[in-house]
Amino acid sequence: MLRAALIFAFAVIALSSSPIAFAQSDCKSVVKPSPFGPDDQTGATNRVTPAVTKAAAAEIQTGKVTNMTYPLVDGVPLFGSRFTKTILTATSLAPGASFGENQLTYMEDTWLSQSHVGTHLDGMGHIGIKDCYYNQTPMGKFINQNNMTKLGLEHLKSFATRGVIIDMVKVFQDAGKLKSNAACKKPCLDKGTVITVADLQAGLKIYNVTLREADMVMIHTGWGDLFEQFPAQNALYNSGEPGLGKEAANWLAAQKVVAVGTDTWAVEVIPSENPKEAFPVHAILLTNNGIHIMENVRTDLIAAEAASTKRATFFVNMTVPKAVGLTGNFVAIDAIQ
Amino acid sequence: MIDTARGIVWLSRARLVRGAIAAAAASFALATGVAAPERRYTIAFANATEEPGVSVEGTGFTGAEIRQSFVLAARTLPIDLVFYDNHGDDARAIANAEAAIARKVDLYVQYHLGSTGNAAVAQRLKAAGIPMLAVNEAVPGTPLYTLDNAAAGRIAGEALAQFAGRTWAGQPTVAVVIGRVSTNTERVQGVAEALRKRLRNLRVAMLETQGNPAQVAPLLGPLLAAQPTSKLLIAATDDATALAAKAAVEAAGRARDVAIVGHGVDRSIHGGANDHKELDPTNRASIVLGSVAFYLDRMGYQVLPLALRMLHGEAVPARTATPHKLITPANVFAEYPPYDMN
Repeated sequence: MLRAALIFAFAVIALSSSPIAFAQSDCKSVVKPSPFGPDDQTGATNRVTPAVTKAAAAEIQTGKVTNMTYPLVDGVPLFGSRFTKTILTATSLAPGASFGENQLTYMEDTWLSQSHVGTHLDGMGHIGIKDCYYNQTPMGKFINQNNMTKLGLEHLKSFATRGVIIDMVKVFQDAGKLKSNAACKKPCLDKGTVITVADLQAGLKIYNVTLREADMVMIHTGWGDLFEQFPAQNALYNSGEPGLGKEAANWLAAQKVVAVGTDTWAVEVIPSENPKEAFPVHAILLTNNGIHIMENVRTDLIAAEAASTKRATFFVNMTVPKAVGLTGNFVAIDAIQ
Repeated sequence: MIDTARGIVWLSRARLVRGAIAAAAASFALATGVAAPERRYTIAFANATEEPGVSVEGTGFTGAEIRQSFVLAARTLPIDLVFYDNHGDDARAIANAEAAIARKVDLYVQYHLGSTGNAAVAQRLKAAGIPMLAVNEAVPGTPLYTLDNAAAGRIAGEALAQFAGRTWAGQPTVAVVIGRVSTNTERVQGVAEALRKRLRNLRVAMLETQGNPAQVAPLLGPLLAAQPTSKLLIAATDDATALAAKAAVEAAGRARDVAIVGHGVDRSIHGGANDHKELDPTNRASIVLGSVAFYLDRMGYQVLPLALRMLHGEAVPARTATPHKLITPANVFAEYPPYDMN
């Protein structure tokens, strides 16, 4: 009896000393090392140096600000049981509830939401291969019930860099290969359309842009038109999307960009090029290269702006909350030209 | 055309000329360092039927899903597709082939269940020097891509027999094959063969539903009632039948006495991370042990690479079979990655 109790006690101690009893993979053979050193938890925002920000500031010429964010409200496309909900939790508008002689009133709210909703950023802890995440991190050792203890958003640096819009609708129109979806009110690439390296290069060529290290690349596919129609087209929006193929993702990684965003929910082509692979572009960009992914980005306005001004570059105005241990979060983005 | 023991190589005169031009272009590219643009091929796919709501091959898949698999598979290949619908009709199949010949396609993929029509199509294509790849029905002298119904049935039978051996050893057990039994003879024989190989003297009953899941409960109910103390292994010829069998077993209060395996792995039995359908990683205690994958929604990914090999003058096997596999809650997301999350 005593022996059994001792064995049980040892087992409890052994289990409690390791946060999660995962079978650990050899992450050095699964995920590429970070170019920013073995202890890095930041990823590609390391590339946004003072020199990069200073150079990006030169993009501000007219001061015109273009919105790149969709409204975040109950009813926008979400999957399954995901939710984003606000509750007005404190209000002093009731008669007699104001404060002091000066009749001060106030309001506050509670925001109950999952983090990967609306226009949002995927952090380094979002995607892994087996239990291996960015920078060969064996993630099973670094999670608890509430959050991650490594790779959280609090480690990100600035996104004060140059943004580049690549208008894929225009590329496909110019090439005579645009097959729009009938539900899109404006031209769009249809779901399942693979964006290739040649497509990206053609898009850059339209406005004579050469990518620089630390650029934030935004790709306009037109698929976001369905997001704008929420909730009418939510099911279609979520059913697939045009997006990057693996070759194009690897090419963008080789350009050392800081983030890739699109007006779709996953940036990459869905269904995937290989039906037996799950979100391979996510793994290429986030897990193996530390490059952020930005989803549900409103790209139509800046694409239209580029078409009218012949300028496809802008200064990115975006910050990410120092949300400790989070895998991603909704953001607001402005393009300043 | 050259038949070999290992495979079939198509080398018509037109293809020989095309091959010589390609070789010359490659030599030029090597000599000059300028890469020639990749040659694109036009491949015709004549589908068995695309009639809405009509399922094919005794599964839950439709012709539209097969066609879509070709569209998706072609995205990363140097292929332009032309589609035809044979509509299950010989005359239509012949007319489609003639239209493709007039269009001068590079290769013709023929999916039609009808030997007379297939022979006529093959004869016309051969005369036009257009190679043909047959799907799911053998055509003499033509490479074949096909389901292997007998192998699929054996996988299902083996899964049920293994479960019975592990869980109900020594207990009275009977088996039943239910669904489109009379039109899926190879599949049914495969099931019975595998069951009897492991469980000698096992009685295997056949229940014909003619593809109507509403018939499952009326047929299965009396069998369950007649076997109050026996365990029951159910092989369903398709997924809708498997799900109907599960409902009937649960309604009879016999869930603890039954194990079920289906065939197909169509969207009625598996889905995304948020769908929580029967085959789901969170549903490992289901009496539906799994379903044997037929991959009809991925046929294009199997067939188009074969077609390209033929067009490149490479030998292809005379018969290439679908790699059927048992899909369970443990492997369903590895085999069919969900994409309803991001």
